[in-house]
Amino acid sequence: MTGMTFLKTQEPEERLDLSALVPARLKGLSSAEIARIAIGTSRRGVVVGDVFAVSGDDPSVLRFAGGSPRFDRIGEAMAGGEITVEGDAGARLGRMLKAGRITVTGSAGMHAGSAMEGGVLRIGGDAGDFLGGPLAGETMGLKGGTIVVGGRAGERAGDRMRRGVICVAGEAGDGLGSRMIAGTIVVGRRAAGTPGRMMKRGTLILCGGAERFAPTFVDNGPADILILKVMASAFAQGEVGEVPFDGAPMRRLGGDTAVLGLGEIFLPL
Amino acid sequence: MLTRLKGGHVVDPANNRNGVGDVFVSDGVVVDAPTDAKAPDETIDCTGLVVMAGAIDIHSHIAGGHVNTARLLLPEWHRAFSARPGETALSKVGWTTEETGLRYAEMGFTMVVEPAMAPSSALHAHLELADTPIIDKATLVVLGNDDLMMSMIRDGESETAIADYVAWTVAASRALGVKCINAGGSAAFKENVRKFDFDDVVPDYGVSSRQIVKTLQKAVTGLGIPHPLHVHCNNLGVPGAASDSIAATIRAAEGDPLHLAHIQFYGYGDEGKRRFSSRAQALADLVNATPEVTVDIGQVMFGQTVTISSDELRQFAGSKQASPKKSVIFDHEANGGGVVPMDYKARSFFNALQWAIGLELFLLIEDPSRVFFTTDHPNGAPFTAYPDVFALLMDRGVRAKWLDALPSSVKKMTQLPELEREYTLEEIAVMTRAAPARLLGTPDRGHLGAGAGADIAVYRPNDDKAAMFGKAAYVLKDGVVVVKDGTVVRRTLGRAVTLRPEPDKAMKTRLDRYFDERYGVSSRWFEVPEGALRRDDPFEVVPCRA
Repeated sequence: MTGMTFLKTQEPEERLDLSALVPARLKGLSSAEIARIAIGTSRRGVVVGDVFAVSGDDPSVLRFAGGSPRFDRIGEAMAGGEITVEGDAGARLGRMLKAGRITVTGSAGMHAGSAMEGGVLRIGGDAGDFLGGPLAGETMGLKGGTIVVGGRAGERAGDRMRRGVICVAGEAGDGLGSRMIAGTIVVGRRAAGTPGRMMKRGTLILCGGAERFAPTFVDNGPADILILKVMASAFAQGEVGEVPFDGAPMRRLGGDTAVLGLGEIFLPL
Repeated sequence: MLTRLKGGHVVDPANNRNGVGDVFVSDGVVVDAPTDAKAPDETIDCTGLVVMAGAIDIHSHIAGGHVNTARLLLPEWHRAFSARPGETALSKVGWTTEETGLRYAEMGFTMVVEPAMAPSSALHAHLELADTPIIDKATLVVLGNDDLMMSMIRDGESETAIADYVAWTVAASRALGVKCINAGGSAAFKENVRKFDFDDVVPDYGVSSRQIVKTLQKAVTGLGIPHPLHVHCNNLGVPGAASDSIAATIRAAEGDPLHLAHIQFYGYGDEGKRRFSSRAQALADLVNATPEVTVDIGQVMFGQTVTISSDELRQFAGSKQASPKKSVIFDHEANGGGVVPMDYKARSFFNALQWAIGLELFLLIEDPSRVFFTTDHPNGAPFTAYPDVFALLMDRGVRAKWLDALPSSVKKMTQLPELEREYTLEEIAVMTRAAPARLLGTPDRGHLGAGAGADIAVYRPNDDKAAMFGKAAYVLKDGVVVVKDGTVVRRTLGRAVTLRPEPDKAMKTRLDRYFDERYGVSSRWFEVPEGALRRDDPFEVVPCRA
């Protein structure tokens, strides 16, 4: 089998920083050198060999056989290649991803796809809080690329998002698309709290409705517009795949008028 | 205990020493060579090294409310939970009081002045300073945009009454001097004024910037406060208007001492197709011809930094250029202020010319005892850029190398390539040691004569001046070795140097009433009690001039 496999040999006793395990950093290293890469975050000095059995020799395709919610920073700033995690991933999965593809079969922790600039991030299970969001102090969240979540997303998904697409099949937590600058978020089921609070521009398509909206959103009534159909078919043919809307008329809200007010939210009629 | 620093090249212009010799230290004080044959208890071999007094930074924003706001605005620069990016100069500052003290000490600095302490944040500033290790500290308290000062001037109150108010503010806030920042400009800003010149009048108060500066200058001089009034002029950074403002302010000194802060930001003309040019020559000529004024530069260096200023009007205008795009503007009593992050880029015509103007001023102002070494930390650059600034001043070759990397449009607008002057070690010692001590009125600092405090920096000579001044070979603070080979080996605690002028009792009563009526707070709220700092001996009081 091509690629390189990191077989989890034991559950780590501390959170691990796996940001070093990206194709560009592993290229040209022998398996002994890879086994010595430090990944620990405590005084114990954990290295790759303590947690993983490494096999294979092509680091452009990486596979983690067995995941853990303690595997932080997988694929950070990756500029090309492919990573698959069979299991869960920890915090900051695919943060600042520039290109390439990351697939997680289980769930991911906080800040998955944070400040991502391109590429594709797929999470089979649930995503933690601040999906695609910025870290404290940063001015932009998701800046490009595609994030697809099979389960539910935590609070504040798409916070300060600037560009790109987030598609969540399940529910979304409080504050979806908060402070959004631009971009598109599609949610299959209900969005909790007040989605889109302080959004300047951007589009939220909430196929399962929302708990409530901030009073600074304006109801524009039903919108029978072609773009919904165009988007649905474009998504279906692209990385996002089938989406839970089909171009039928939807109710449109404009906002957040507390800020720029050029954002829009679509709801089922 | 007697310590002997043996055989170093002693550069001590205050005592006309510039040659190989010994320096003796006993009980934290420099002493004359012992006449008896008593052997020193400790000998530090300084053969081949340069021995100077500890350096003094007269203008560096290291404490107070605005500094703290900058920390809050930019959490991504001091993430506790991840390694700091090594590439930005600011990341080396580390932002904490701890690192501020340690990094300064490693470069051989033993005293730093926080130049913009609002009276209302005096306690905060002193708490931060008390937490800053090794170095001694001092503060300048800000007056000039406050309601009481402007009302007193408007109502024609006596010079004595105004001096009493200044004395009370200095004593209560434990300052070493008085600063005025865009006099009247911040107050006018609150009435929607967006441009304020030296002779413009503050709405409602009817007093001009000139009146405020002159009144404060007279009060400071009259009280015998050693440090002259420290002025941040109007129109900072506005091409053309900036240089007019500073010229008007310098002329208004009228024979009495006045200090002009970060004058690089005022050396801007509006010539050329980008309406931005250097007026360093004219400004330097004016400074050279006006012996009563002293200046500091506020050198700009390239890289990410953050500007912290109580010049609310200026910071509001500058907030549009914030990089990253976020800023904080305060509109509170007296000065207010603003925190605006800034990324000075070598490839930007404007930033590169700012850099060149700062160096032109350093090199064109002839008397090194009247021009002070600052980057207005962190406004022009963080203080960790100092070693590079030393190299630029002392080495033409370094300047030529930096100039080569700049856009060619800049080279046409600056005379920097033609300036051949290179600062000597002695001139550096005057600018960073002897002159600051004299300016601040702290006679036991800045020199190595008998009786001076044993704050001593020893450097390893190197053709690379940045390497030489970046890491001192030894630093002694009060006679104790605190730095060896550029690394802190002992963490001591310095003190805050203050004045304690005695204000008139009637002024105290009047202020009690004023603060109670206007703000509903006690005037004690502005006082910094010694006990609050939870340290033995947190202050060192120096006298006012008789």
